Amino acid sequence: MSLEELLESGNVPKKGDLTEEELAKLFRKYRGLQKKQERDQAFWSATNENLKIAYEKLDEQERELARTYAIIQDDLSVANKIQKALLPQASGKMTSEFELAVYHKQLAEVGGDYYDFFNTCSGSYAIGVLDISGHGVSAALVMTYLKAQFMTILEKQDSPKEIVEWINNTAYDFLKTVKKYATVNFVVIDSTALRYVSGGGFGLLVSGKDSTVFKKRDAFLGLRRRAFHEYELPFKKGDVLALYTDGITEAQNDKGEDYSVQRLNNLIIKNAKKPVQEILDRCREDYTGFRSKDSDDITLLILRKKV
Amino acid sequence: MAKGNKKTELKVFGATVQGYAQACINLNIVAGTKAENLIGEIEITGWYPFEKLREIERVVLQAYENSGPILERVGMEMMLGWYNYGPGKEIITRGVDFLHFQTGSQGYASVIKGPENLVGSFNLEFLDEEGGRARINSTTPFNKDQERGVIIGGMTAPGDLDFIDVKNDENPQIFNIEFA
Repeated sequence: MSLEELLESGNVPKKGDLTEEELAKLFRKYRGLQKKQERDQAFWSATNENLKIAYEKLDEQERELARTYAIIQDDLSVANKIQKALLPQASGKMTSEFELAVYHKQLAEVGGDYYDFFNTCSGSYAIGVLDISGHGVSAALVMTYLKAQFMTILEKQDSPKEIVEWINNTAYDFLKTVKKYATVNFVVIDSTALRYVSGGGFGLLVSGKDSTVFKKRDAFLGLRRRAFHEYELPFKKGDVLALYTDGITEAQNDKGEDYSVQRLNNLIIKNAKKPVQEILDRCREDYTGFRSKDSDDITLLILRKKV
Repeated sequence: MAKGNKKTELKVFGATVQGYAQACINLNIVAGTKAENLIGEIEITGWYPFEKLREIERVVLQAYENSGPILERVGMEMMLGWYNYGPGKEIITRGVDFLHFQTGSQGYASVIKGPENLVGSFNLEFLDEEGGRARINSTTPFNKDQERGVIIGGMTAPGDLDFIDVKNDENPQIFNIEFA
């Protein structure tokens, strides 16, 4: 039996089974294996040592990540409080004249949907609903910037067109620089009418059996330096005004279908005789039942001129 | 694509660079995008600055505190690739042929070019085939652990040798080889 056959069989060779040459070969093979084992051991030992170091590094990085995450969470929590504080409370005078309900939900701790109540220089009420592109901190920072701009211009102007155009011209370079834009719905409410400008914002006015969807032919803030169009609608006691961003209407269900503007408007129209909080609750319930998950910041503001 | 045309620059054959990178990938020394970056855009027939090899070497040196056995294994893996998937089988049929191939530094000269003082040599100085002993003198800029692996891998690849041991002299440029 040759050495190879003997090794293959696994039987221990008896004296005389192997020739001297085969014994020498066996010896060489054994030495070869020894050397191979030494090399393998050195390789795996270095590899294991490296693995140990890698795990230690990973642990440290995880701890660092957790520390950083905690700092960011703290910051975001403060930012959330700041942003909430920047969102408006309707004045006592306003709530004496209007029923008001707002559904405002941010996707993250801070968000890019922004609504505000103002008084114009002539004493009219004004409402702005904006959706700043993106989410999170960057959008929230743009929101604070825009709020400051609105407060500045409203001391001098009461025309929605003039106000929005001024904001757009003033903010244009800034928004370009930070690569942001914002949809805008700006409404000024006078004693018998409302005037609005809509650059991508959504608005619906329900007056008795009639309803009017806001024309939104203008560009978003920060996209172009162009004139905006102002529209006027009668706004009587009992009329319901709804202003909203696309957070609800573009949300999708499990089948990938949009909630849609049509569905929201129909729901508001159908419930228009109810108290505004109830209209809002119906919309919220319907939306919550429909959507698979929130995918954007949400703002829905419903207002009725008290009888 | 090969970069740089300066005659004063040390350059390595693309197949060697790729073999080195591929060995690191095979041994899972690098993975993911790091591996893609290592191997990406290397043309095997191109010539690359020696720095490209140093880059790959740095990956190993940075990752491993004890990089000697790893670089040795990389060298072995490179030569297994050279033999099994490259031109190796056409050049050698026995383990000892790999040593003959180093006579006059011809094997090394086929994968590197540049100024003589930078290229150095990888030269078979002594060979006793019967006694199973040989000596190679290397003045190349390559890592000596890796070169030891290259010798072991090159001699192991044909599969006819039962025993191979390569030790460095006190002078790390001298490789004392035992084989049977």
